[in-house]
Amino acid sequence: MAEVKKNEEPRIGVFVCHCGTNIAGSIDVKAVMEYARTLPNVAIADDYQYMCSTPGQNKIAEAIAEQKLTGVVVAACSPRLHEPTFRNATKAGGLNPFRFEMANIREQNSWVHMHQPEEATAKAKDAVRIAVAKASLLEDLVPKSVPVEKAAMVVGGGVGGMQAALDLANAGIKTYLVEKSPTIGGRMSQLDKTFPTLDCSQCILTPKMVDVYRNEGIELLTYTEVEQVEGYIGNFDVTLRKKARGVITPAEAEARGIVGGGCTGCGDCVDVCPVIKPNPFELGMAPRKAIYIYHPQVSPLIYTVDFDACVKCGLCVEACGEKKAVDLEMKDELMTVKVGTVVLATGYDIFPIEKKFEWGYKNYDNVITSLEFERLICASGPTGGHLVRPSDGETPKKIAFVLCAGSRDSTGVGKPYCSRFCCMYSLKHAHQIIEKIPGAIPYIFYMDIRSFGKMYEEFYYRIQDEGAKFIRGRVANILEDPVTKNLHVNAEDTLLGRPIDMEVDMVVLAAAVQPTAETEKTRRLFGVSCSQDGWLLEAHPKLNPCGTTTAGVYLAGVCQGPKDIPDTVAQAEGAASAASIPIHRGEVELEPYFAQCMEEKCAGCGLCVNQCPYGALSLVEKDGRTVMQVTEAKCKGCGTCGGFCPGGAIWMQHFATPQIVAQIDAFLLGGEQ
Amino acid sequence: MAVKKDYKDQQLAEKLRDRKYYIPDSNPEFIKDVEKIGQTAAHMCYQCGTCTGSCPSAPRSSYRIRLFMRKAVLGLEEEILTDPDLWLCTTCYSCTDRCPRDLAPTDAIMAMRNLAARRDIVPRNFLQTVQLIYKSGHGVPNNDANRAARKKLGLDEEPETTHKYPEYLPGIRKIIDHYGLKDRADKILAEGE
Repeated sequence: MAEVKKNEEPRIGVFVCHCGTNIAGSIDVKAVMEYARTLPNVAIADDYQYMCSTPGQNKIAEAIAEQKLTGVVVAACSPRLHEPTFRNATKAGGLNPFRFEMANIREQNSWVHMHQPEEATAKAKDAVRIAVAKASLLEDLVPKSVPVEKAAMVVGGGVGGMQAALDLANAGIKTYLVEKSPTIGGRMSQLDKTFPTLDCSQCILTPKMVDVYRNEGIELLTYTEVEQVEGYIGNFDVTLRKKARGVITPAEAEARGIVGGGCTGCGDCVDVCPVIKPNPFELGMAPRKAIYIYHPQVSPLIYTVDFDACVKCGLCVEACGEKKAVDLEMKDELMTVKVGTVVLATGYDIFPIEKKFEWGYKNYDNVITSLEFERLICASGPTGGHLVRPSDGETPKKIAFVLCAGSRDSTGVGKPYCSRFCCMYSLKHAHQIIEKIPGAIPYIFYMDIRSFGKMYEEFYYRIQDEGAKFIRGRVANILEDPVTKNLHVNAEDTLLGRPIDMEVDMVVLAAAVQPTAETEKTRRLFGVSCSQDGWLLEAHPKLNPCGTTTAGVYLAGVCQGPKDIPDTVAQAEGAASAASIPIHRGEVELEPYFAQCMEEKCAGCGLCVNQCPYGALSLVEKDGRTVMQVTEAKCKGCGTCGGFCPGGAIWMQHFATPQIVAQIDAFLLGGEQ
Repeated sequence: MAVKKDYKDQQLAEKLRDRKYYIPDSNPEFIKDVEKIGQTAAHMCYQCGTCTGSCPSAPRSSYRIRLFMRKAVLGLEEEILTDPDLWLCTTCYSCTDRCPRDLAPTDAIMAMRNLAARRDIVPRNFLQTVQLIYKSGHGVPNNDANRAARKKLGLDEEPETTHKYPEYLPGIRKIIDHYGLKDRADKILAEGE
């Protein structure tokens, strides 16, 4: 436990920041500074235009030396922004950095009370008085360094997860790539072409899939889910559930002593399997057997048994013969791995657009989603790349594309955000039907075309030039002709100012995207926050877009918010870089906000041990007594134990009871003792 | 203000009328009044046209609810309140059901009608409806053709309303009189003669 220097006379320096006009625009900074001078223990008070600037920071260092300060208070912005800056300045002045306290008079004051200068100034005085009360009782603390495991984990094997895993492995870090499906590849492997270059999606993806499979630094764990997470940055213990696949790899066969055995991907088992189920990779538009692969380019090329569908007839076991690859008695296995950092890349799902009744998805045969369009237009898809109407198998000639289907929707049914890549893939779809179906006309119903990326606006220009028709207006509703199964699209041409009723052969809904069902579970396991709409929350939207508020956990791809492929890959590389830094440094500093046991007060009752959400507490024998002991590296300083202890025997460093009581007193007593 | 030029030919003057949007033509308080009466955040309209696309009135008339929303946001009070199209909404609420911004364009229209009525700008047929309700309890009273149809369907000639129970008419009149609606309608109709 850190020394409490009881006899030390506190000498506090207060520095009030103008932040240009951000603070000084509504708060009388001089008055706050003058007020600070009247407070007990304040040795010096000063103000400056920008405290975070070099001259501002120098003021702090100089005052510490000249005035022999014991504590520093800066009244400025949020500690989330500049606490590290001023801690460093405090340290530069020769004081322990944890003797610094920040009063937030910008985000929580001047910005919200812009039109109430008097009240804002009074509130700023309160904030300064409270901070001074705490600073008077602050003590020296020393951050704890812990070693970092030289391994990383990537959760999700789509293009983002694959890129992050490749970068980490190529940087010399052992990387576990965990994917819940039987193959890596993710959403991108379902796409036919990519905008704006019109590259074949699989052609540019499969080399990466092969790289991942071959990379010696990557341990690929498909058909595996995260079960449990313990620990903290540098030392995560992750329990994984390897779901029973029913088929063993050649390596597993060798381990079982079956020479030359294991799955070779020959597919003999599929021919004999009598069970037929819809293939989720083809969105249910093509069949698969109970023993299956998603598509020919899967990686790893190992078959999987769907035990929910399998009747255990054993025909596949016979067909497999001497390879003995099929094991119908296989059970889930749990394994635990230790990693230093984690990248989450859990991707997205399509919003269930049938919830918007007015567009008739799942009610009218010829209304499909864009992802279904991708499979129907793809040469390896269920129709061999021939786009057909589900109602009659005819080739559609007039096709309407409905943009913002479920996006930019504040009704509570759809999603309030822009899904960001629908404009561009719908332009691509328009190009594809013009190219593949002679005489076909795409009608694109849009509110705005958001072609924001490199060469995207040029792509928009090209598609318009190719003959796509653009109608500025959101589709109000769609009705089906019950005889022809043609669709009547009702909208307003807002440029014309006239309502239109357009009869088309097929409608493609550019449905909104939403976080996957598993994202919520995964983020809870790793202790990551999410924004209101369920996307995982980055540490800072601009300055730390790959990190999270949980140290050692990083984000890549659409799980953080809608992104196209270039942005996903870019963020994945950023997340991999961020995740590699603690590993390459070898150790990380933890903020010393640990609970401490005051052994002379501890009764050894052990009630706190069960309360701790992080398993950081235990009971030990010391000098013949049972007392609680804190494993500092596990403690997050949440304060649960400190608030709970019936004997008041737990000292929360930096948030100790006397410090907090002093803050409350300073507020309630208005500075009077 | 719109620039006025002196053309001798009135038809030509109308054809070449200055139709630009001028800030002084707008009343910034108007949208606030509409929102207060209609209880909907009309200024949040992003002009997608789902409303006009849903509207059963639009294909058969020059009524464009999106345009009214736009003009309300721009504060074009005079233009809106004197536009006869304002009264072509059937209040079916299709636009309100489908509005992706969760607005109630129907209620905005009703609010604007309210504001027009305050200035005695109401179409004659609406005022005549007030008179009919006062007289019979019905906006569209029963007639001989309807009576024959009802009889054919095995119904009483008069429906279960004030037509059958005229003793309830004084109550209806009391409500209408309380708001001075009938006197107002009579007065406006008389002035328009």
